[in-house]
Amino acid sequence: MLTGSKTTFKVRQMLPDIKERMLSQSGVNSRSRDVFGLRCLPGECVLQRAVMVRKKLTAREGRGWLSGTLFCTHFRVAFVPQDGPKPDDNADPVLLGDHDVALASIEKVVVVGPNRTKLVTSNSSLKFTPEELVLYCRDLRVVCFLFDRLTPDTQVLEITYTIAKTYQPPKPGSVLSFQNAALGSVEMKQFLSNRRRDTHMNWHESSSDWEQELERCGATGWRVSSVNDRFEMSTSLPRYIVVPQKVLDTELKKSFAHFNEGRIPRWCWRHPRGCDLLRMASFQNNIYHEKDDIRNLETILFGCQASLCVVVELGEELPSPADVQLAHSRLRALCLGDISTSVSVPDDKWLSTLEGTHWLDYTRSCLKKASEVACLLRGGHLTVALQEPDDRDLSCVVSSLVQVMCDPHCRTQHGFQSLVQKEWVMAGHRFNSRLNYHRDNDKEEAPVFLLFLDCVWQLLSQYPARFQLTDDFLLALHDSVHLPLFSSFLANCQRERCKRSQSLGQSYTPVNGWRDMLHPDFSPDPSDPPLPPVWDWALQYSKRRRDRFTQPVAPVPPLQPLLNGNLNTNPDTHRLTDTLPGSVFLFSRGAFSCPANLVPWRSSGGSGVYRKSHRRAASSESVPGLERLLKAWALSEFPQGLTSTVGTQGPLDTYEPLLPLLMGPCMGFWRECYLRGALHAQAFSHPISANHPHPVERLAREVQQLKDKLAQASQTDPHLGAKTAEPRWSDTNLNQNTNNGTFLFPAQRPHGTAAPRAAPPPTSTNRQTSRGPPPASAPPSRPSYKDNGGGNKHTFLFGHSSATEARPEKRCYPTPSNAKLPKSNGPSIAS
Amino acid sequence: MEKSGSIDSLGSKRSSSRQPSVDSLSSSASTSRSDRSAQAKPPSAMSSDSVSTSTELSPELRVKPKTLSKKVPRDVDKEELQLLPNEKVHDMAQDVTYFCPFIGALRGTVMVTNYRLFFKCMDREPAFVLDLPLGVVSRVEKIGGASSRGDVSYGLVCKDMRNLRFAHKQMEDTLRKSIFEVLIKFAFPVSNGLQIFAFEYGQVFPVNGWKVYDAVSEYKRQGIPNESWRITKVNDHYEVCDTYPSTLAVPVNIPDEELKRVAAFRAKGRIPVLSWIHPESQATVARCSQPMVGVNGKRSKEDEKYLQAIMDANAQSHKLFIFDARPSVNAAANKMKGGGYESEDAYQNAELVFLDIHNIHVMRESLRKLKDVVYPNIEDSHWLSNLESTHWLEHIKLILAGALRIADKVESGKTSVVVHCSDGWDRTGQLTSLSMLMLDGYYRTIHGFEVLLEKEWLSFGHRFQLRIGHGDKNHTDADRSPVFIQFIDCVWQLTRQFPAAFEFNEYFLVTILDHLYSCLFGTFLCNSEQQRLKEEIPKRTVSLWSYINSQLEEFTNPLYVNYSNHVLFPVVSLRHLELWVGYYIRWNPRMRPQEPVHQRYKELLAKRSELQKRVDELQREVTNRSASSSSDQPGSPTRSITPVQTFV
Repeated sequence: MLTGSKTTFKVRQMLPDIKERMLSQSGVNSRSRDVFGLRCLPGECVLQRAVMVRKKLTAREGRGWLSGTLFCTHFRVAFVPQDGPKPDDNADPVLLGDHDVALASIEKVVVVGPNRTKLVTSNSSLKFTPEELVLYCRDLRVVCFLFDRLTPDTQVLEITYTIAKTYQPPKPGSVLSFQNAALGSVEMKQFLSNRRRDTHMNWHESSSDWEQELERCGATGWRVSSVNDRFEMSTSLPRYIVVPQKVLDTELKKSFAHFNEGRIPRWCWRHPRGCDLLRMASFQNNIYHEKDDIRNLETILFGCQASLCVVVELGEELPSPADVQLAHSRLRALCLGDISTSVSVPDDKWLSTLEGTHWLDYTRSCLKKASEVACLLRGGHLTVALQEPDDRDLSCVVSSLVQVMCDPHCRTQHGFQSLVQKEWVMAGHRFNSRLNYHRDNDKEEAPVFLLFLDCVWQLLSQYPARFQLTDDFLLALHDSVHLPLFSSFLANCQRERCKRSQSLGQSYTPVNGWRDMLHPDFSPDPSDPPLPPVWDWALQYSKRRRDRFTQPVAPVPPLQPLLNGNLNTNPDTHRLTDTLPGSVFLFSRGAFSCPANLVPWRSSGGSGVYRKSHRRAASSESVPGLERLLKAWALSEFPQGLTSTVGTQGPLDTYEPLLPLLMGPCMGFWRECYLRGALHAQAFSHPISANHPHPVERLAREVQQLKDKLAQASQTDPHLGAKTAEPRWSDTNLNQNTNNGTFLFPAQRPHGTAAPRAAPPPTSTNRQTSRGPPPASAPPSRPSYKDNGGGNKHTFLFGHSSATEARPEKRCYPTPSNAKLPKSNGPSIAS
Repeated sequence: MEKSGSIDSLGSKRSSSRQPSVDSLSSSASTSRSDRSAQAKPPSAMSSDSVSTSTELSPELRVKPKTLSKKVPRDVDKEELQLLPNEKVHDMAQDVTYFCPFIGALRGTVMVTNYRLFFKCMDREPAFVLDLPLGVVSRVEKIGGASSRGDVSYGLVCKDMRNLRFAHKQMEDTLRKSIFEVLIKFAFPVSNGLQIFAFEYGQVFPVNGWKVYDAVSEYKRQGIPNESWRITKVNDHYEVCDTYPSTLAVPVNIPDEELKRVAAFRAKGRIPVLSWIHPESQATVARCSQPMVGVNGKRSKEDEKYLQAIMDANAQSHKLFIFDARPSVNAAANKMKGGGYESEDAYQNAELVFLDIHNIHVMRESLRKLKDVVYPNIEDSHWLSNLESTHWLEHIKLILAGALRIADKVESGKTSVVVHCSDGWDRTGQLTSLSMLMLDGYYRTIHGFEVLLEKEWLSFGHRFQLRIGHGDKNHTDADRSPVFIQFIDCVWQLTRQFPAAFEFNEYFLVTILDHLYSCLFGTFLCNSEQQRLKEEIPKRTVSLWSYINSQLEEFTNPLYVNYSNHVLFPVVSLRHLELWVGYYIRWNPRMRPQEPVHQRYKELLAKRSELQKRVDELQREVTNRSASSSSDQPGSPTRSITPVQTFV
């Protein structure tokens, strides 16, 4: 129990050098990190705590209340449930526990007293003892803690003051201290620098990464150019860009000047039908076009083989970043509500107010544009170039949406991460400015990336079975965006990420491996915390949460051939010959046109061959032909042709785009994200929405158990059944998935359940608890946690010391799978 | 190409092309032609604008075991009219134009039977078919006179959120009636002295749905009679109350004679009777009609004593909550007509709560507005504010909120409640049945839900005949109102919030609503139990439950988990309610779901039973082996493994 109000608990870190070095190999310091039940990060200090606090759980968490202890540290507000699992001392540090809130993501602190509510700031003083503490977060969570009458008043007041003082009121410079609080300790730095980065995804950082992507897409005729290696050609473009093979670097160099910010047309993706997707900024108009330049520009624009180029202008029909910002701030105000100001929108005006934010309109227009581009690409034989004035906002949205729609790979977790890395992080989306972490540039703030996540969620909710990633993953990414800790989001382009040493010291640390590869002379500034990439999920989320990022079984392939079958049955291909090779069209507002000034060098009266041939090509007769073509794709006048061939078609075209329904009633509202505020929700629920295993899961588990038993039985182990292991639930919350209709079978999931166990009939156990007032404390899954924790260290995965402990287990369970028990299934046989 | 049209049509095209996965590949093409919203599920007997419907929906075919090999012939069948037993073609006309609001004008053949209108357009490949049970038709109107081109045009306003328009050439033979005049005759059989088709429909199902509900055994399931409640036969001949069922559960210490005196004080004699009793706390949900207080504030000793008895029957609480579903203004206004509400002075220990739910006329108007907003065209940019202006979701919310308060009082407060509105057959039924659905997991099973409808809606005299107007041409009848639709909508909202708590799926709810209108089954005919008995409905018609219970796999939710004793407390904020797109906007081809959910559910069910089988097999094997290897071991763990129950 605390005595002094200002007592702080400093974790002792004075360890002998040798020991520290030894410990740092595993990145942990097991003994000293547990403070009053809170597992601190290395160097993290508990500033204040309050006991007997209850946390209100959201619908996703199972609703109800959870009792425990509330902590405030330099870095976070942490909540440790009373009977939660005991922290595994040897596990890698996780920045935020399941119930924690990072201080940097807190936007407002509000307390509720006996009959009043008050917004608490760093210099407010309270004249009453709060009963409830509500944290409004920037990621749209509303976290609500309830103090018990038995919580000492001093604790209540002090923790409220402490949180109010310590959380980051949005001001420049506070980000660095936050980063230091989280990652600044020596141990943490060492731990981070030893992290291996995820090799399952493509980081699009090295030239071999890009070559790998070209190969994956089957794109020939393109090469990776390092012409921008020193960011001399374009400061915002990445080091490596993909350009047509035919163009030499020396020729390439001359073309940068023709585009805004030097962002020349670059290859992004190839549709399997042979269409390439490019991105570029707007043309620099007042520049003289030399003949050679023109030839190069043409080659770059047309890519390698296509004879037709369609420029898709993204400015007009899509929201501007300022629009996005306005819509999002309205959406936040609407969804967060705020009991302290009581401006919350009455329920009966909810729909029209939601409409008034225009957020859904913008989502729709992005999806619509992306659908159009996807249809263009499906047609084949043309190059589609997305053009946005600075090519750094909406073109990120559209190009990546097109790929999510068309490329099943991008609907897997790793594929999606690669995509974001390619089209956002490397392509130079100004994350740092747009997210405005430092609160120093409100003008530039615009959560374009969040708009994109919403669009992906719309696709996911309309095609739940076609995604491998889940909405839990999207939600995790959404929340991470609001944590100023990740190198992925803390810079505006690759150059900034690389320029760490010159910066004010808060932006960049090269991810592991770079140092040696690219910057042999690089010496990290020891005072700055190294920033991890956002994709290092293990830093943020427990294994249990990460397991929910993907669906346990692969997405189903399309159930039948989709529209247009394949290229052979597509009657449109021949129509393409109507149009002359070398034509450039503008696609805007759903129609093609051929404005004279579309491509400046063609209209600028240059000279020679190009001009002549293209003037003819640009004649208006060819336009309707193309338009007809698009209409044909869009309306697809030939379903019968399709049905006649379905029987024989064999493998399905998995690249058929997922075209979303876009009518008003079809645009969903991402409640799980925007309405997470516990205040809207009731405190009770059906048990299945808590962490209860679904019957199918139980069945699958039983199959596994029985199999294991069989294996044992076949060994005729004399001790069979003498010991039964504790129940183990894998906490995949199946119900979450089922909300989308994506219902999956965990049968294929390696449960690693090794031992037979007596499964308590869930219905009967439930019956005992379900009557009467809803359980005030723990969700029903609690006991299993306890079993997992078990008080018994299960460490054989991490250290040699425990190998002996693990051995008897192996002896007991001779099936090979037992040797690879995931740590979450960890109670040893002795427990 | 217009900007607005392009992508929407892309989407719809796309989705329609996906449609086939539901049944068979080749039906895809046909569906894409039709304007049936064609939820990704087997078509219901009603949602029948589509080619794929006619065969599949006719129940006699559905009950037969389906084999995959039948697919091809079935597709052919789909384009032909499949007559139900005792269904006869009464007229046929060629060269009729159907103006589909989504595809455009279609030329084809119309057939009118005593059950349906069947339109087929062969010009298009694949053929377009519209299959409409006549019970759905609310109004037939001749639009305009004979035009210069000699066309006569007819509009069909339907009860299920759509309007249809047809035209044909002016008859040369003026004596011959237009096919739509013939249609009127069969669409409104009651007004034309004909029989509703349900009385002719001669299908025999393996299950008899009329046996689903038996009042005595349902009360027995609830533990009635017990020391505080008894079952009375005082209304055996419907003398106390002609709109109540014959079997009633009342407090044990109120003799039958006193019941009659209470009945005199309650509107239409609808005395407070038990709907549901909490198995543990004995808190009860009782329903009745408004007390006949009148302007003078009349009191009834018997009624006061009666409510006291209801309160006393629950030892846990010394309070009684009376939920008046109406807005307080309306309740007060009812005093002018002799009705009113309980005064808290007269009823000691009772607390009166008004739930602010509006009357049937407001609801009818709200649904009409909703239809305007969703059919045929939806204004995308103002969709949400248009939806808001219908107030439909707001009404849904108020009903759910009321039911939630009732359930909360009973479950958390352990307090008995009495629910009434004016007559106690509309809002009262919504509230009691919804709160029972929240409180008692039994009603969340398919069978239990059927019992709930039979009990709270049918036996307690929700006036289906009047509210729906079966076979009646008087479409402006002020007694018509979508009270029951609203209830089903509320149930759907619950299923959205608790996807694993209900044994039935969305298709089950849509099917119930479709047959609410179709007049194929006798279930929803008549206004009360007494009338149903008099008309011998169970003898002369088929029950909807016969049809449903004969093919439960169509209606089963694979996500269902049987936590029967758990109480559901839904979130009733408008922020968490949604418009039931799959019902109200299903006719719009652009709204078809992207993934065939129903199909997937069925696969899941199959997979689940497959897994179950594997568990059983493995278990047997384990038992055998362990028996042979270590038979002398007591307490072998094999025995402790509890097989997971299936409730498929």
